[in-house]
Amino acid sequence: MPGNFVLPLIIGLPLLGAIFVMCTPKTESTLHRGIGMTFTVLTFLVSLLVLRFFNPKADGYQLVFDVEWIPGLGAHFKTGIDGISIFLVLLTTFLMPVTLLGTGKAIEKHVREFIAAMLVLEAGMLGAFVALDVFLFYVFWEVMLIPMYLLIGIWGGQRRLYASIKFVIYTMVGSLLMLVAIFYLYVQYGSVTGTYTTELDKLMELSLPYGAQNWCFAAFALAFAIKVPLFPLHTWLPDAHVEAPTAGSVILAGVLLKFGIYGFLRYAMPLFPHGAATWAPVIAILAVIGIIYGAFVAFAQDDVKKLVAYSSVSHLGFCALGIFALTAYGVSGSIYAMLSHGLTTSGLFLGIGVLYERRHTRRLAEYGGLWKQMPIFAGIYLIVTMGSAGLPALSGFVGEFLTIFGTFNAGDTFPAAAPNFIPYPRLLGALAATGVIFGAIYLLYMFQKVFFGKLDKAKNGNLPDLKGRELGAFIPLVLGIFLMGLFPRPLLTVMEPSVQKFLRDFGKRVGEPDGPAHLYGTLPPKEQAKANAQIQQNLDAAAARADQVGKAMGGAR
Amino acid sequence: MNFSFNPADLGYLIPYLIMAVAGMLLVLAEAFYRGQDRSSLVGLTVAGSLAAAVASVVLYRQIGDARVPLLGVMLIAARTSYVLSALFSVVTALAALMSPAHQKEHDWQIGEYYGVMLLSASGMIMLAHAANLVTIFLGIETMSIGVYVMCAMRRRSRRGNEAAMKYFLIGAFATGFLMYGMALLYGAAGTSSLVEMQKALATTNNPGLVIAGAFLLVVAFGFKVAAVPFHMWAPDAYEGAPTPVTAFMAAAVKAAAVAAMIRMFGLALGGDVLPFGSLGWASPMVVIAAVTITIGNISAVRQDNIKRMLAYSSISHAGVLLVGVCALGLGAASANGAIVYYLIAYSMTTMGAFAIVAYVGSKGRERLLVDDWAGLGAQHPGAALAMTVLLLSFGGVPPTGGFFAKFYVFKSAMEVYDGQLIWLVLVGVVNSAISIYYYLRIVTAMYFREANQPFAPTRSGGLLFVIAICPIIVLEMGIMPGFWVKLVGG
Repeated sequence: MPGNFVLPLIIGLPLLGAIFVMCTPKTESTLHRGIGMTFTVLTFLVSLLVLRFFNPKADGYQLVFDVEWIPGLGAHFKTGIDGISIFLVLLTTFLMPVTLLGTGKAIEKHVREFIAAMLVLEAGMLGAFVALDVFLFYVFWEVMLIPMYLLIGIWGGQRRLYASIKFVIYTMVGSLLMLVAIFYLYVQYGSVTGTYTTELDKLMELSLPYGAQNWCFAAFALAFAIKVPLFPLHTWLPDAHVEAPTAGSVILAGVLLKFGIYGFLRYAMPLFPHGAATWAPVIAILAVIGIIYGAFVAFAQDDVKKLVAYSSVSHLGFCALGIFALTAYGVSGSIYAMLSHGLTTSGLFLGIGVLYERRHTRRLAEYGGLWKQMPIFAGIYLIVTMGSAGLPALSGFVGEFLTIFGTFNAGDTFPAAAPNFIPYPRLLGALAATGVIFGAIYLLYMFQKVFFGKLDKAKNGNLPDLKGRELGAFIPLVLGIFLMGLFPRPLLTVMEPSVQKFLRDFGKRVGEPDGPAHLYGTLPPKEQAKANAQIQQNLDAAAARADQVGKAMGGAR
Repeated sequence: MNFSFNPADLGYLIPYLIMAVAGMLLVLAEAFYRGQDRSSLVGLTVAGSLAAAVASVVLYRQIGDARVPLLGVMLIAARTSYVLSALFSVVTALAALMSPAHQKEHDWQIGEYYGVMLLSASGMIMLAHAANLVTIFLGIETMSIGVYVMCAMRRRSRRGNEAAMKYFLIGAFATGFLMYGMALLYGAAGTSSLVEMQKALATTNNPGLVIAGAFLLVVAFGFKVAAVPFHMWAPDAYEGAPTPVTAFMAAAVKAAAVAAMIRMFGLALGGDVLPFGSLGWASPMVVIAAVTITIGNISAVRQDNIKRMLAYSSISHAGVLLVGVCALGLGAASANGAIVYYLIAYSMTTMGAFAIVAYVGSKGRERLLVDDWAGLGAQHPGAALAMTVLLLSFGGVPPTGGFFAKFYVFKSAMEVYDGQLIWLVLVGVVNSAISIYYYLRIVTAMYFREANQPFAPTRSGGLLFVIAICPIIVLEMGIMPGFWVKLVGG
């Protein structure tokens, strides 16, 4: 297959860069920054080759690279992308050089180690996005953890020790329970088929008993919900963001959080469809709580960074809601919202970095009237803020609109064997929509506090505007935000086949009747007939319920 | 008892013979030395143990899948035996390489040290081949007595003396349990050969004897591997013993005791042959395993002394190994390979970690507290990086050997029929998260805090070699585990 070398190459390049930078003398920090830029830009350019080889009409994995890794275990080094992961990969490779450029010389000590940590982090993230083997995915998933821990712990703020350990422990607890579920799945697959493997496609053929699916999904969901972060599990995020250096915050919000949603889409839901159906109401409700709660708490913050951190809780809530709506609009919207959030939040954090470098404070009360002092920065920051708030014609709007739209229609369009997949879709959709309004409120509030009003703080009097380097980081972000807002079609078209396939497979699998672990479609005909009858019954119930909802809403249907 | 001497069998025992002969030569060589400096003995020690390792590798390649009984039914030669004997030899070599600098720096130069070390290692190799109650007992005693002596070699240190005394008394106590348990099993089975015992126990009409005997063995091995509640000696002994000896104890002695358990519980008492219940001896063992992992970790969280922290961590690792032994006894196909893989990864990690402990300390200031390590990352980035890799391996974070080892053991525990051990895997996994906390405390101290005074590390080629090679092996085991999985027969 042509182009299958690209994915291993973009994982390998940053790793190579990390090794390379560690071999250079300790004091040459300019050289280290140069190497960092070179390798991240190179990785970005190579990752663009993906577009060249990717066939946007196909729905399966593409650019698949597969070698046996641990023969005794059946683990493969298998990578590939589809419409769901392609843009996440590009987002990652795009954000890395932008971040390094934007934070520039903010890191002064241990520059060599900083660059190495960033590069290893990039390799881990790219690996986790393209892995098609649960064991490989788990390894990359954990590999991301350590550089992030070091980024917060070494180059972080005052309470960095607390924040870094909290980040690690939270993430670790979730991912270790996921590991147990992986064991279970692996052993069950082995005992059903006689061959042991950790390849994702093969494991997806296995239907576990309902009880086991519920447990396994819960274990996976915990790991991913912590990463998202869903409402009661979000407490590590503000700490980590506030203490992390700007570069860490950008990558954390821009890319790392996406692994929660991506994990649901790629692993938890396809592997345990019935478990997903069982837990969907819980997750959907938590997502909506997160949307509103995150917005309220963000509004109450005085620390800009904390405000943006809570805004992530709110925005990622939309993504979680969108995927559990299980409509084509919801899922594509969720992916789109992730991409948009990657661009806008990175911009917000980079801007906070710009302010912090000049004023060494992040308190809103310390700013005001900066518009006159830094007009270029203010203009750019306005676009980024508006993009994040979901102003039409900017990127945030498309994703949020689609997820809400998808959620709203969840009751009608999803033909699942689980009629109560998410409860009261219209109510949840409406509640989520209020989150958009709140989002606009707190973001505008922040913008007003910083840039409008009187320039009454003496220290703000002579702040220099953006330097060329900083402009260089912001311009691509702003362009991206505009392009994604004005022309959503090309991206959505590429996602479409994969999203449809995801929904099709899910719909097929969630209807599998309960029974001992078996491969899909291998049940005796009698049981299959029973299952089909059950699916039909559920479909009727869903239709009836949709009618009911329609009537209750005044016969809108 | 069926003991017949066939000279051809000696060929299979070359690693053992090399180790024993080299040990005796070293003890003799001591007689010809004057003065304090014994560092030249290291060369012979390392040469001897590496020769044993090479012989093990050669025999491993020759023997194929055969299982050859040796000297009647006393010993057995199989692939696993040679993997283990190579492991013990390499660990011995690494411990020897660490020693001279530490001896010189902390002033405990005793020539017999190296001889005793190799003799002790010969006991370990015997355990790797043991196929009989008699050889298990002999192996354990040969190994233990050597280590008691090594533990006490820092004669002027009160802590060291206390440690050695505790270790010796408790060890002797455990031997009593071992002997008694073996006697009861022998009484029930009418044979001391482990293979025949498995068959005999299936039809025994004395289940009471078997239960009592197996239970006593669980206790005895519990002492040997420092499983809770038989672990009290370990933190004191690990802290008081000179650091290279601690490394030797934590890595090789524990590994050899587990190797004996593989034979005892996997072979003689394994399978479904037990006449009582499906769990048999495993029911106390699973509880001990769960408690060992948990108590070991929770106690480690509270330690400020790195050696004690590593001692408790090694207790919790013993718990994980017991999970593997339970899985083996309950018929999980991959458990044998998993345990051996775990032993290799764990031994390499342990040797490296203690080597760095030895490196960081200097005369009059051993720097054993976590606070003493503050700022190591800035002043000695190489050592700090190596320590970080090793600690991550201890904590089971990929891509390290420690991660894959845990993965492998827990996976084999999941294979046990009907998912009986899932809860144990959950306990182990939750504990991994706890353990990350205290391992990262050291990383935090090394990287996130400033040094209060400059380090004056103990520098020596041997020590630096160990510090360099162990993290590389550990990383290699994690990134490309395929070779090792094949090696241990997975």
